[in-house]
Amino acid sequence: MNWNPLEHIQQEQLEQHTRRHFLKNCATGLGSMFLATQGLRSNAFGSGLPVHDASNPLNELPPPMRGKAKHVIYLHMVGAPSQLELFDYKPELVKYDGKDCPSVFLEGKRFAFIQGVPKMLGPQYPFQQYGDSGAWVSDRFPHFQKMVDDVCFIKTLQTDQFNHGPAQLMVHTGSARMGHPSIGSWVTWGMGTENEDLPGYIVLLSGGRPPRAGKALWSSGFLPSVYQGVQCRSQGEPVLNVSNPEGVSRSLRRKTLDAMAKMNAKAYQEFGDPETMTRIAQYEMAFRMQMAAPDAMDLSKEPESVRDLYGAEPGKESFANNCILARRLVERGVRYIQLFDWGWDSHGAGQDEALNGGFKSKCNQVDQAMSGLLQDLKSRGLLDETLVVWSGEFGRTSMRENRGGGEMRFVGRDHNPNAFTGWMAGGGVKPGISYGQTDEMGYLAAENPVHLRDLHATMLRMMGFDPKKLSYPFQGLDQRLIGVKPARVIEDIIA
Amino acid sequence: MQIAHLVSHLPLKMRAILVLALGGGSVHAQEISFSENIRPILNAHCLKCHGGVKQAGGVSFIYKDKVLGKSKSGATILTPGSLEKSEIYHRITESDPDDRMPPADQSPTGLKAEEIQLISQWIEEGAKWDEHWAFVPPTRHQAPEVATTGANADWPKQRIDYFVLNALKQKDWAPSEESVPERWLRRVSLDLIGLPPTLAEVDRFVKDLQDTGKAESAYELVVDRLLNSPRFGERWATQWMDQIRYADSRGLGIDERRNIWMYRDWIIDAFNNDLPYDQFTIKQIAGDMLPNPTMEDMIASACNRNTQSSNEGGTDDEEFRVMAVMDRINTTWQAWQGTTFGCVQCHSHPYDPFRHEEYYQFMAYFNNTVDSDMPSDEPTLSVPNNRSDYAQAAEMENAIQELEEEIWKSDNAALVNANLWKPISSLGIEVNNSDTEITVEQKGDYAEFVAPGGIKSQTKYTIEAELPADLDQLTAIKITGFPRDLEAAKKDSEWGFVISDLKFTILRGAEDEREEVAVEITDAVMDEAHPVFDPMESFANNNRGFGAYSRIHYPRQAAFILKEPLKLACGDLLKVEMGHRIFYLGAFPLVTKRGRLDVSGSAEWTELIHDTDRKEKNERLAEWKKALRDIPSTAIPVMMERDEKFARPTHRFGRGNFLQKEEQVQPGIPDLFGSGGEEPRDRLELARWFVSPENPLTARVAVNRLWEQMFGYGLTLTLEDIGSAGEPPTHPALLDDLAVRFQTDMGWSVKKLLKEIALSATYRQTSKVTPETWEADPENRWLARGPRRRLSAETVRDQALAISGLLSDKMYGEPVRPPIPGGVWKPFSSDPWKTAEDEDRYRRAVYVYVKRSIPFPSFAAFDAPSREFCTPRRLSSNTPLQALVTMNDTAFVECAEAFASRIQAVEGEPEDQIRAGYRMTLSEAPHEEDLSTLTALYQAALAEYQADTELVKESAEHSAMTLVAAALLNLDETLTH
Repeated sequence: MNWNPLEHIQQEQLEQHTRRHFLKNCATGLGSMFLATQGLRSNAFGSGLPVHDASNPLNELPPPMRGKAKHVIYLHMVGAPSQLELFDYKPELVKYDGKDCPSVFLEGKRFAFIQGVPKMLGPQYPFQQYGDSGAWVSDRFPHFQKMVDDVCFIKTLQTDQFNHGPAQLMVHTGSARMGHPSIGSWVTWGMGTENEDLPGYIVLLSGGRPPRAGKALWSSGFLPSVYQGVQCRSQGEPVLNVSNPEGVSRSLRRKTLDAMAKMNAKAYQEFGDPETMTRIAQYEMAFRMQMAAPDAMDLSKEPESVRDLYGAEPGKESFANNCILARRLVERGVRYIQLFDWGWDSHGAGQDEALNGGFKSKCNQVDQAMSGLLQDLKSRGLLDETLVVWSGEFGRTSMRENRGGGEMRFVGRDHNPNAFTGWMAGGGVKPGISYGQTDEMGYLAAENPVHLRDLHATMLRMMGFDPKKLSYPFQGLDQRLIGVKPARVIEDIIA
Repeated sequence: MQIAHLVSHLPLKMRAILVLALGGGSVHAQEISFSENIRPILNAHCLKCHGGVKQAGGVSFIYKDKVLGKSKSGATILTPGSLEKSEIYHRITESDPDDRMPPADQSPTGLKAEEIQLISQWIEEGAKWDEHWAFVPPTRHQAPEVATTGANADWPKQRIDYFVLNALKQKDWAPSEESVPERWLRRVSLDLIGLPPTLAEVDRFVKDLQDTGKAESAYELVVDRLLNSPRFGERWATQWMDQIRYADSRGLGIDERRNIWMYRDWIIDAFNNDLPYDQFTIKQIAGDMLPNPTMEDMIASACNRNTQSSNEGGTDDEEFRVMAVMDRINTTWQAWQGTTFGCVQCHSHPYDPFRHEEYYQFMAYFNNTVDSDMPSDEPTLSVPNNRSDYAQAAEMENAIQELEEEIWKSDNAALVNANLWKPISSLGIEVNNSDTEITVEQKGDYAEFVAPGGIKSQTKYTIEAELPADLDQLTAIKITGFPRDLEAAKKDSEWGFVISDLKFTILRGAEDEREEVAVEITDAVMDEAHPVFDPMESFANNNRGFGAYSRIHYPRQAAFILKEPLKLACGDLLKVEMGHRIFYLGAFPLVTKRGRLDVSGSAEWTELIHDTDRKEKNERLAEWKKALRDIPSTAIPVMMERDEKFARPTHRFGRGNFLQKEEQVQPGIPDLFGSGGEEPRDRLELARWFVSPENPLTARVAVNRLWEQMFGYGLTLTLEDIGSAGEPPTHPALLDDLAVRFQTDMGWSVKKLLKEIALSATYRQTSKVTPETWEADPENRWLARGPRRRLSAETVRDQALAISGLLSDKMYGEPVRPPIPGGVWKPFSSDPWKTAEDEDRYRRAVYVYVKRSIPFPSFAAFDAPSREFCTPRRLSSNTPLQALVTMNDTAFVECAEAFASRIQAVEGEPEDQIRAGYRMTLSEAPHEEDLSTLTALYQAALAEYQADTELVKESAEHSAMTLVAAALLNLDETLTH
């Protein structure tokens, strides 16, 4: 590594100078300039919008209210895991197993695949209560059983959508259509990030396939594109284009950047465009990211004991690896970390996804990893400031799926948007409780329904935002993550 | 508080005077203008509660009739000329803070004294109401005279310059000096064709300038050359594709490939041919409805087929059809009217006078097309791959449609002639599985089979029907399929049916010794002239055939005609076997859920199929269809109106929810644009209305967008919202004058407008900015200097390819797949990315495959939208990820290497080569200081490569020059214009 400390100091001086220059101007020209590029202006709409440093749209900002959560790790089980086989124990459903579904459950409901009158399906795995909190967990999650006292279960999550693509968009953007900003974008827009050498919002995938809605799930929508999620990988290049091209050493890159900075600074002298100085700073940040990102994503730096805690094997694309990475990224100050794990769509249409088939291995793949993550965050004192959220995009029906109108070869359940289980831990959530109750069949929310809008409102509140005020003017409306329909912060689950 | 309390106890006249005294304001000298003075106050302080969405207490300040009406409490909100009788006045001057408007929690600052004064004066002057400026048609303006005298009197070069200079003079500012000619050349080239000038073009321009007397014409020569370049259309297509949310994929759950690139090529041609903007508009909104549409007109109608569709298993076609229709409405309003209409689908517009029901009246224009979220984008049109076949194919297509119509008309007369048919009144039916329940219901003189519950996929029915006793021969059999609930289905269509494996047999003789007599069907007549599937396909070994695909909301019928009359014997039974092969989206069996049979013994059917004239026509039809099929073609989705008798009624949706249908509505434009007059009756008339002089928005929005493309900001900043929620224009007279001239003098010519801008003194200014001028106008909205901004995502790529000499000038065709970083391309369904190894690797960005769920990484990094929705304008960011793209991405690395070779091909020392390379990049010669910086970089890199040969690819010199080339391609000035 050919690193010239003198040049480095010169560079830092230039940056310092640049930043001072920006700050000086911020109150007058530049601040409003960046506002303009964000599409925001002081008109009838907005007040109290986050205003970032003109040179750095990701600089850290204090949230408008007190919030305990400084980071979020969202674990999305893509395809929608069955709450009835994991967390929502329904003894009554056992009795109904194999009987015709009562018509009260079918009237006025739309299904993706169920036809006519399906049969009810009892829980496929035994349940027991665990911990001081006495939370019900099935035998599919032997590791997670030990973590229940750190966790707040929500049994009555609800969504508007019963098809995967739109429902996944609902979970992450609050809208069923592509084109709206994701939670991570709202949050990094609202509070920036703690480490400028890494993206503020990072996405990690496992399970062999991406979620259907693809990058729209971590899109910045109508927010500036700088707030979009950046997909990182535990295999290959951790961030797109982060490696120098073949034949370019780090010292040669340094020399190139120095020459460019010199010429750009001169262009600034001549034309006076502050964007020029911003560009110099961004190229420097990219240079630092080239070191910081591979370092953050390098699992070989973790001791074996930690890898064993998660059940991780370096070099693979796995949920366990991504869980360790999530912790490493939290340690480095990344604001929002989104994990997607594909393969939870248990219709029973094929063995690979059936409740009596692939579902079992999916459970094995995530149980130890997510439990290890909670334990690891806790022992490092990071859980208090890190909100961990776990969910699918909807739940599954209490009826057995009868796709095509007949009995299917494997056992599975159709999509159920009316009630599903998610859990949260850390970041100021009340540990060891369960919120909301479903009916005796585990099909509808009977008590304390929590729409995804409410979940979003609660997450934002825990991060220090008023969910009604975090808004952005677009298409004639003050657009918000929670949309325009009623949304409430679930105060009962905030410690 | 004390004073306010006092005020309410004073007599009215005195109150106003006191308010004046307190605020220190004075009576507004001129008559108050509602738009200029009052509406901004209402927008800022009142509309949140008394707007279109919320109308607290029944009060809204958006609609004139509501303002002059009564509130829920019965108070008269406003009486022109009378403060006393105007509740609004009492409430804004109320002393009790609990009753005073606006309430402190809604408007912390409250109304200022001068604002109260303005409102009072306005009421006293008679509360004259005028619409927002953008909703009043523009008028021509005089070029300001003030700009023709005094300082800079000789500055204006084009008409627009007078308006700009006038505005500057009013601020006591002066325009900047003219830009260095080479810089203007680079700017205008990047703006007009999206590519930098070549060295030869720079040299020619400089030479032309030096030839005395030719200076001005040298500028014009350049602009004409650029406007006539085929590259022009490629550059301007991109910004329009953002408006129209063009993509090569379908979006939503699966996002599979969609073939619609011929429409992209149509846009390129439209700009290159300078298709007048009014034609451009009509063809895209309603090209399919033009009389005898050309192939190009039909392709243009694909504009509205860029909506997302959902083919995920288990999704409701009707839900996503409605979503697509709404997106068409929102996009049309956004792209052509600069108005956000989308919010009106749930409630009345919060700021502009558009009422909730008006959204659905407008929707009625778009709600009657054949497309309905079907998996293969039906309806599609086969467009010849070779353009020379367009005219012939279009002629054949039109002729086929006409002839089909003609044959069908007489066929259908027989189909609907009740005298020809006898109902089947007794039948038995069997199903091939135990999961599908089926019953027979007796209805008057006929019998119906009904499947009331769950249906298994692939269900087959076998029906045995008693033939009417008085029928002595059989000539035709009619099958009618119904929705389960006739009335409800008109509003909310049901899943349809498609009949395959159809077979008719006559069972003859006693039950134990039955003889089967085959029934030979040779022709079929359906209830529409151009069905999605030919009903005769019901007999073919495939899953197509007669039916309602994929939704049903009216009864559908077809008659199947026997080759020859079949003599019937007493007691003969008709056996009908019908299968249903389609298991739609892996979730919905398209099985007939309710149906009946009729039979005919009329000779008319046999005569019909043996009629020589009909025969000849059908033969001709078959011949034409074959000839058309023989032309190598690509099927693309297009717009097509539904047959009138199957027209979908349009309803208002409660809160925008398509399942909650309220009253039915008829097509209409919002009242704001004048009610009572003749309203457009269909989509074509609507398109014509958009470009008529009565429409106040179309020309303004177009002109504003073109201006934004050239200067970085529109004359009104908010391209997405020109109405009340938008920014007022900086140069209102200029915007209106340009809009009128664009429609009239320029004949809607985009090229003429761009030429005027490119040659204007305003555009030719240097972009240099001092701290003072920056502070005064950071965004350069007042244009006291030339534009300077970062290049678009597409131009960043195209420029690098052009400078390095790699750029291919091949036009049109299938989307291309240049190198993409590893690990990015993970489509949900099979859609391989085969990286191009030929010249497609270096095509212009406009041809790169646009997949909505996987945006091309380098474009996404530079703020290109992913085209799910209309994007009225792009925001420009400046991020480290952009630096990683232009320094490290394969495409840019290849450019740097190729550019290095180009530089090395220049004769002379490395310094001379680098000087040339700089000129190739930035069109100007470098300052000596820059040249020495780059040369030093080259020398240092060369030394390092010579010392560490493992890093070297070709030669140490080439590697070192590649670094210099990369530096040049990454300079701030290179990425900016």
